[in-house]
Amino acid sequence: MWSIIREAFDKTLLVAKAYGILHITNSYLCTVALAYGPSMIPAINLTGDLILAERISPRIRKVGVGDIVVVRSPVVPSRVVTKRVVGMEGDRVTYLPDPHNSDEVRSIVVPRGHVWIQGDNIYNSKDSRDFGPVPYALVEAKLLWRVWPPKDFGPMQHIAR
Amino acid sequence: MWSIIREAFDKTLLVAKAYGILHITNSYLCTVALAYGPSMIPTINLTGDLILAERISPRIGKVGVGDIVIVRSPVVPRRVVTKRVVGMEGDQVTYLLDPHNSDEVHSIVVVPRGHVWIQGDNIYNSKDSRDFGPVPYALVEAKLLWRSFVRGASIPVCKFACDWSSGMCGRLKILVQCNTYQDRRGK
Repeated sequence: MWSIIREAFDKTLLVAKAYGILHITNSYLCTVALAYGPSMIPAINLTGDLILAERISPRIRKVGVGDIVVVRSPVVPSRVVTKRVVGMEGDRVTYLPDPHNSDEVRSIVVPRGHVWIQGDNIYNSKDSRDFGPVPYALVEAKLLWRVWPPKDFGPMQHIAR
Repeated sequence: MWSIIREAFDKTLLVAKAYGILHITNSYLCTVALAYGPSMIPTINLTGDLILAERISPRIGKVGVGDIVIVRSPVVPRRVVTKRVVGMEGDQVTYLLDPHNSDEVHSIVVVPRGHVWIQGDNIYNSKDSRDFGPVPYALVEAKLLWRSFVRGASIPVCKFACDWSSGMCGRLKILVQCNTYQDRRGK
């Protein structure tokens, strides 16, 4: 009987170690993200794309304008959003707050320690135009390579504005 | 020769596993921190207090008004600050704009959704939400659990105390990240 318990314990330990390694890889190196929704059309599909996102760049400050990043939402802390960085701290950002109804254009200087994120599809995107500049510490990962669907396999396009 | 390599590999693996366990405990359960600066006087000493902070409460939403929390600074992302939560989302917070010069000029703000309002206990010398505005809840990293009673110690002594206590805990010596939480002094 003890041998069964010992075997169970060993297997559990093995699973725990494997999980630990996967978790650390997921949290600190590279993670797979399912990005869906209308706000990043055409860069990201409405019905969802599996994208490899790496977590090293935000830590070493290699995130810049034009990158698509995974950001923890400042409005709903349990949610994570995928948007494009349009302005880093100190940049002047010009944006349309309400493109459906008016052509009004507003301008803002991104404060220190913050980034300005916008969805590519400004007609249907909740982003910094709604909740303001986002503290840089909320940037979690940078999208790297699209994995699924197979016809779109390849790097994410980098567009600098 | 192979046995030496194998032994080295085994030992390295052991160290890596120990480090992994400690790191996970530090990041997800409980961490030791050195908090210093004038902004939380008298709760936290100017010259530094060792504090134990747990990381579970912010994840399960158990942070509320009156808690002292460790928050990643929205202004300097590398820095972490220790302040008290004065308002949660939806609360109306009244604060003094300029306590040095007048106690009449209040300002009232409703904390927006998903944010918290943090203030240092020593409002005369604290950079907090009165300066950088409400902070997104996701930046709250840990909640204070226990504060050491090493009061009146100067910072070198406190760092020594940190090493000492980590030495006492044997394997903790591999990793105690005596994270330093720095408050900017003065306004």
